[in-house]
Amino acid sequence: MNVIKNAIIIVICILLIPVTAVATAAVKARFADGPNRVFSGGPLVSGELYAGAEPDWSFVNSLPTIEMQLLDPLLSRRIWTVEHQDKLYVWSGYMGNVVGRLWKRWPVQAERDGRAVLRIDGVRYERQLRRIRSGDSLDGIAAAITAKYPSQTTRESIESGDVWLFEAGPRN
Amino acid sequence: MKTFYWLIAFSLVLTVLVVALVPGADDTVERIFQQYLGRAAR
Repeated sequence: MNVIKNAIIIVICILLIPVTAVATAAVKARFADGPNRVFSGGPLVSGELYAGAEPDWSFVNSLPTIEMQLLDPLLSRRIWTVEHQDKLYVWSGYMGNVVGRLWKRWPVQAERDGRAVLRIDGVRYERQLRRIRSGDSLDGIAAAITAKYPSQTTRESIESGDVWLFEAGPRN
Repeated sequence: MKTFYWLIAFSLVLTVLVVALVPGADDTVERIFQQYLGRAAR
């Protein structure tokens, strides 16, 4: 019995090492100016704050990711984006399963308070995220997403809540 | 077991220091974690 108990303790102790590494990297990311990969980064500090007319967002279609920070909480993450019919969209997949919901908390936070800052090519844009749950426009947006990324996003996956889609419109 | 506990404690402290201070170590940890997370979420 003692052997089994010791074996379990040894396994747990050894597992603690990668867990500690991940936790340390996650904590360190929170003090950074922006996100790196999956861990939330700190507020987007550097970069000129854009002021002026609504930009032509089509340039984002050539960018793999952008940085996005919510105002509440002051955390940032790296996300996919697409422009469709002069509007900018961000989204989160995996929202239909438990792991995804634990991993991706920003969509819930954005639905509560949509004020966001996007940093694209070193320029920061103040935006307001508004969730889109249904509508004919989803066909075109989903097509734009799948044309740009290896994504299986469809109108149905958005309407079913597996993908949470937000329009990043101007902040009023 | 006592020696083992000391070894684990030392390893944990070393892990924190390496990830926190060595340039690129945090990125490597994040990249590996991303791979596992992506698989788990599918």
